[in-house]
Amino acid sequence: MDSKPSGSPATFVDHLVVPGDLVVDLSSMTNQTIKLGGGLRQDCDAISVMKAGKLRFSKPNKYWVETSQKRYVPCVEDTILGIVVDSKADNFLIDIKGPALAFLPVLAFEGGTRRNIPKFEVGTLLYVRVVKANPGMNPELSCTDASGKAAEFGALKDGYMFECSTGLSRMLLSSPTCPVLDALGKKLSFEIAVGLNGRVWVNANSPSTVIIVANAIMNSESLSGVQQKIMAEKLLQKIQVNS
Amino acid sequence: MEIDRDHGRSPSQLRPLSCSRNVLHRAHGSASWSQGETKVLAAVYGPKAGTKKNENPEKACIEVIWKPKTGQIGKLEREYEMILKRTLQSICILTLNPNTTTSIIVQVVNDDGALLVCAINAACAALVDAGIPMKHLAVAICCCLAESGYVILDPTKLEELKMRGFAYLVFPNSVLSVLPEGSSLVEGEPMENGIITSVTHGVMSVEEYLKCLERGRAASAKLSDFLRRSLQSQLSNDSSKAA
Repeated sequence: MDSKPSGSPATFVDHLVVPGDLVVDLSSMTNQTIKLGGGLRQDCDAISVMKAGKLRFSKPNKYWVETSQKRYVPCVEDTILGIVVDSKADNFLIDIKGPALAFLPVLAFEGGTRRNIPKFEVGTLLYVRVVKANPGMNPELSCTDASGKAAEFGALKDGYMFECSTGLSRMLLSSPTCPVLDALGKKLSFEIAVGLNGRVWVNANSPSTVIIVANAIMNSESLSGVQQKIMAEKLLQKIQVNS
Repeated sequence: MEIDRDHGRSPSQLRPLSCSRNVLHRAHGSASWSQGETKVLAAVYGPKAGTKKNENPEKACIEVIWKPKTGQIGKLEREYEMILKRTLQSICILTLNPNTTTSIIVQVVNDDGALLVCAINAACAALVDAGIPMKHLAVAICCCLAESGYVILDPTKLEELKMRGFAYLVFPNSVLSVLPEGSSLVEGEPMENGIITSVTHGVMSVEEYLKCLERGRAASAKLSDFLRRSLQSQLSNDSSKAA
């Protein structure tokens, strides 16, 4: 590993870092604003890593550590899939795979008033956005986008939901479209909703398509881009032979 | 005047190490760590909502459960639990997830000496796997004092019986840093010279303790290199698809 101590933060970008590593020297970059994402913290005059993963840098000034976990820590503006656990007078209680249940205010829907409160049964799957995520408080969700429109948010009917790691769900959402979805989408038609909390929902006209898509996604976790493409294409060929 | 050891080991030679992460399917993070024949499996669950009674709800709580190979847990295991808990508390950043509990379950697979340090190393790797925010990593080493005053490292069970004193030492790992050489000193010494935990058993003079410390410190560099390499090799497998 090239771990020569030098002042430039580029040394560690795209390298694997472990907790404790000091990756950015603040004393050498006065008059600059930098933005820190997950896995980093300020320690006096340096930025230190607190999770193991790949250090990423995006121009002009964003740093974060890319990690993959089985548990989700809520973050503002993440779009996630939640499951209704309980409904109270003011809030729905939603399980988001995080440390605490999240609140979804009954008025946080497009045109939501006291008169028309949506009814969700326990176990309903919702596509929601995180609006508040303060430590020590239950996170707050919303079923509208920032301008108050319903956008795509709301209950997901039918279909099939499975859980994966947060790394996989981030890969599915990456742009350009990740190879496995790209390959599947060319031959099959299906609907998919990916939550950053490691939940993926798939729906299609026939149950067999749902199963194929779900399995292909779950298998792609440990594969590289090219491998994903090959895997998906092989899978599609098999179906065509069978049908 | 050399001291004879099994398999022709030199006094400060460690047994072969091995570490694998993400070995358990349901745990949020897990790792197995072995030093020679001693093997420990650690599983991390959490952060979960709420802290226990008598714990500070403004900080994250760490709970350690020790599972012996056979039988019930006794006084010695309780002591191990306590040492592990204190050690992990000092390397985790507890303020980030207040009012949560992280459980670490330590399962002894095989005990052939240096069990506690093996457990500490396993727990540390498991915490990294679970993505619990940490200040830095910890590496633990067991130093033993023979009757003749010789210090040997990483004893087996048989060797442990012949020793008159033990020191279990936990050091911070050596970090990679962008800061210029020497700027990250704490009171004139590099970070990795600090001690996180020091537990001693038996009789030893101050000089002997300092000798243990010196040997342990020298070996901790090797251990911390190994830990970094094994974390990185497994991370690169996970995230190769992102490239």
